[in-house]
Amino acid sequence: MAESKYVKSKIFFEEEFEEKLAEVPTDPKGPWPANDNLKIIGKPVSRIDGYDKVSGTAVYTFDINLPRMAQARILRSAVPHAKIKKIDTGKAESLPGVLGILSSNNAQEIKWFNTSSLFDTHLRYQGDEIACVVAESEAIALKALKLIKIEFDELPFTVDAKEAMGEKAPKIYDEGNIQGGKPFEYARGDVDKAFQEADAIVEDTFDTQVAIHNPTEVHCSVVNWDGDDLTVWDSTQAIYGVRDTVADALKMPASKVRIIKKYMGGGFGSKLECGKYTVMAALLARKIGRPVRIVVDRKEMNLAVGNRPNSVQKLKLAASKDGTLTAISHYSYGAIGGYEGGAGCSWPARQMYKCDNVKVEEYSVFTNTGPTRPFRAPGYPQGIFALDSAIDMLAEKIRMNPLEFRMKNNAEKHPMWNAPFTSKLLKEAYEQGAKAIGWDKRNNQPGADKGPVKKGMGMASQIWWGGGGPPSHAVLKLNRDGSARVIAGTQDLGTGTYTFMAQIVHEVLDIPMDKIEVILGDTAVGPYCPSSGGSTTAPSVSPAVRDAAENMKIKLLEAAAAQLESEKKNLVYVNGLISDTSNPEKKIDIPGLMGKMGEQTITTTGSREANPEGYITQTFGAQFAKVEVDTLTGKIKVNKIVAAHDIGRVLNRKTLDNQFHGGIMQGLSYALMEEQIVDINTGKVVNTNLHDYKIPIIADIPEIEVIIVSEADPMNSNTGVKGCGEPAIIPTAAAIANAVYNAIGVRIKSLPMTPDKVLMALNQA
Amino acid sequence: MQFSYIQPTSIEEVFKLGSAAPLYAGGTDLIGLMKDDIIKTDKVINIKKLKGLDKIEDKGNKGIEIGPLVKIADLIENETIQEKCPLLVQTAKEIASPQLRNMGTVGGNICQRPRCWYYRGDFDCIRKGGDTCYAVGGENKYHCIIGGGPCFIVHPSDLAVALLALDAKIEITSENGQKTVPVNDFFILPEDDETKENILEPGEIVTKIILPEQAKGFKTTYIKFKERSSWDFAVVSVAAVLKTDGNMIKNGKLAFGGVAPHPWMEAEINQKLTGLNTDEASVDAFTSSLFHNAEPMEKNEYKVILARNLVKRIIDNLA
Repeated sequence: MAESKYVKSKIFFEEEFEEKLAEVPTDPKGPWPANDNLKIIGKPVSRIDGYDKVSGTAVYTFDINLPRMAQARILRSAVPHAKIKKIDTGKAESLPGVLGILSSNNAQEIKWFNTSSLFDTHLRYQGDEIACVVAESEAIALKALKLIKIEFDELPFTVDAKEAMGEKAPKIYDEGNIQGGKPFEYARGDVDKAFQEADAIVEDTFDTQVAIHNPTEVHCSVVNWDGDDLTVWDSTQAIYGVRDTVADALKMPASKVRIIKKYMGGGFGSKLECGKYTVMAALLARKIGRPVRIVVDRKEMNLAVGNRPNSVQKLKLAASKDGTLTAISHYSYGAIGGYEGGAGCSWPARQMYKCDNVKVEEYSVFTNTGPTRPFRAPGYPQGIFALDSAIDMLAEKIRMNPLEFRMKNNAEKHPMWNAPFTSKLLKEAYEQGAKAIGWDKRNNQPGADKGPVKKGMGMASQIWWGGGGPPSHAVLKLNRDGSARVIAGTQDLGTGTYTFMAQIVHEVLDIPMDKIEVILGDTAVGPYCPSSGGSTTAPSVSPAVRDAAENMKIKLLEAAAAQLESEKKNLVYVNGLISDTSNPEKKIDIPGLMGKMGEQTITTTGSREANPEGYITQTFGAQFAKVEVDTLTGKIKVNKIVAAHDIGRVLNRKTLDNQFHGGIMQGLSYALMEEQIVDINTGKVVNTNLHDYKIPIIADIPEIEVIIVSEADPMNSNTGVKGCGEPAIIPTAAAIANAVYNAIGVRIKSLPMTPDKVLMALNQA
Repeated sequence: MQFSYIQPTSIEEVFKLGSAAPLYAGGTDLIGLMKDDIIKTDKVINIKKLKGLDKIEDKGNKGIEIGPLVKIADLIENETIQEKCPLLVQTAKEIASPQLRNMGTVGGNICQRPRCWYYRGDFDCIRKGGDTCYAVGGENKYHCIIGGGPCFIVHPSDLAVALLALDAKIEITSENGQKTVPVNDFFILPEDDETKENILEPGEIVTKIILPEQAKGFKTTYIKFKERSSWDFAVVSVAAVLKTDGNMIKNGKLAFGGVAPHPWMEAEINQKLTGLNTDEASVDAFTSSLFHNAEPMEKNEYKVILARNLVKRIIDNLA
């Protein structure tokens, strides 16, 4: 058996460090060689679940249909702030086909957030849950929602963070609207002194919008009780997180709750936590003794399941003439909606560049708007947009090429903790990205192009976590025919987890890909893996799978020694064939060996090793954008994005490209189109559909070139993988903004950079 | 509650059914309106089976007659339209997406309801019988800059803008007979009735769109500025029919979409076109005079600039 021990392990997850007690192997497997010397790792491998998905046979949570299944829908607040006086469900209950209704009238008190409950009578935003109806069909449930009568007192509301911070604003909580009662603060060095001594200073305010995750598959759950056992199919990024929230809410042992998620149509962070809807469905299913499916529609998606909060960022930067970045001051605030969340965006200011003097003050502000949730690199696209815009402004002020300025201020050690990195290839990313985009052909004079359509080039830097870590486990089973089943309690959001798990087993054991079955997304089956956020899935899970596969190889060699009556030290495992170097007659392949064991399976486990002490693992990169701006219409067209990143080892070039293409498209969309718009007079969102909430179509998407400058990060794990899901989106908007300035000579400091803003800026310039 | 889905095969049958039900042709707008509870009805009349309304007929010097059930996609493919009215083809290609053009009809396109997000959303706005236009002091980036009040929608149809520039006429049929009106008289402003966009009364159906024979020697174009490359409504659009002679515009017409509650054409603008020199200074003087009487709201002043710039681009391209 593989040896293991327990360690306290620190891992950076989404917005902060978490410490977990983790089981890790005591015999960490050595690093792999470069991908050129591997069989399938790093190659462009088609998804093993690709056919099922494109042929429509893949069953998503949304598609699950159980016998006697009933349908539930949620009644939500139509106003931004109110206190419920009375809920009359009489008419709705008497509608034929209605099976049950839950509201504060009859639901048990279940705590939700730190401040609220499953059915709170204090409604804090348009979209807050009021009641849940289960019926024979979704149509009947929807009809019933309209028959529920609510009497409520409307309360004064505030939907703007700045207003909400003020003395006169309506208080959403008695303690006031600033979360925690004070800002988050950080400081190093002496910022004031650095500004006094600076050769050049830039100071400006940048703002970014509220963006909605809007994954293709809407949030949904299907729940089924079997006696006291509850099974939940959920479209989630966190099967264990959902299990624990559901178990706690229903006061059940975690062992009685099983969460399953096989295929998923995206999450981007909005599905990192359990939704109220899942618990409501479980309560209703128990009440009516039938399975229940609950679906959140596109409008609810745009109101109530999270967002990337807005930001207003006041930045002040200083440099000396030689191009040393000497000070960064970052003051920001953003709206977090009616419940606890985070609107911080200062991580890039604190750690992107080497800078001795940094000061941060940021406020997360309660407002009567939808809740925030982690959204693909929370805080970073907005933080980098402001920081790297200001970096370009400062470089221009000291007449330095912005690429050179960034190179000069590259941090060799982590600027906050003075700790070394397990690997950092940011300079290589700058160099290779610049070469690919043709940086030397960039306009020296912004706005120099003649004619109404002007071209420009810009760049921005990327920093993120993504090292992953323990605890993360895998189980590998070998069957009598030599086929394998690899199991892990992780989840595939559409990112390619299924495929890389099979690739690793193939790489180590040479079992054909079509004989490897991957099971994930099931708390009843898989050993624990963390939730899929923070670009941690591949770096956490891939080493555990490799560990299990290497342990299997050890077991197979032991079994072969017994079968061939050979000494173990004489056996070699090459291309799936075990042979005795002392006797060429003695050899056996895996199906042959397994066939000797009858119906037995061989099982091994594997675990992610501990992260190295004293080192920081982060991902780095740079993106370069080529744009053209039509100065007659204000429309920005992106012609090319080059993305050059250090993300450790590439497991699968195809799914890696998918991740980058998707992230860059989402970043472009954030830069140019997406914005949730709240009507200030009513506190209601005006664009809750995908016509008014604009995302690009494929014709808006430029050529995207993805360059990976890293081979592997062997200090971090036995696979040397770092995550890439979030790095992809972080610098896109900033790179486009800097390219726009280079094209027109006017800086757009507000996202999204829509034609109206550009046109007005041009006409005011 | 019973829901009636009625499928008449003749227009007379439609009239017999009474007047209070929405007509269902392509359904690309109606279904969304019903799903969003903007139109509440327990009856829908499918007019797709009405005979003779899906033809495009070349009537020689009497122009071209287009049936209201002609699909947008068919308009693009039609050889007569391609040859005699390329402006309409160019405009139709700008509409929505291929899937929607395969379903949407010409009649439906000019009779579609506005896309204002207050009208389409959970707001009891003036167009839905309420007493407030939420765009006033609200989120009015996409609203009108001229002709508004008490409601400030823009009309979403692309075809209507081109038809206006082409002097098209609309034939309307009811139980009492037929009448033909110029496009300009078909659409109405909110000040006349803020709950509808055209003169159609219950029981009236658009039965023809008549394109007069186009005079020779005119250059035409349609520029639609949209925020997304496809599948988007116009922020501002301009249809132009111009006759040029050297560096002089002899005469022509400009019609605008996205600026007003109905497709917009100003006699004053068109008069100024006559004899306009196409050198930069003259064109700039002309374009900067456009919409001088506009009354933009807090968030749509850019539309004035945009409309002027699009006209500049058209003149630069055509002349």
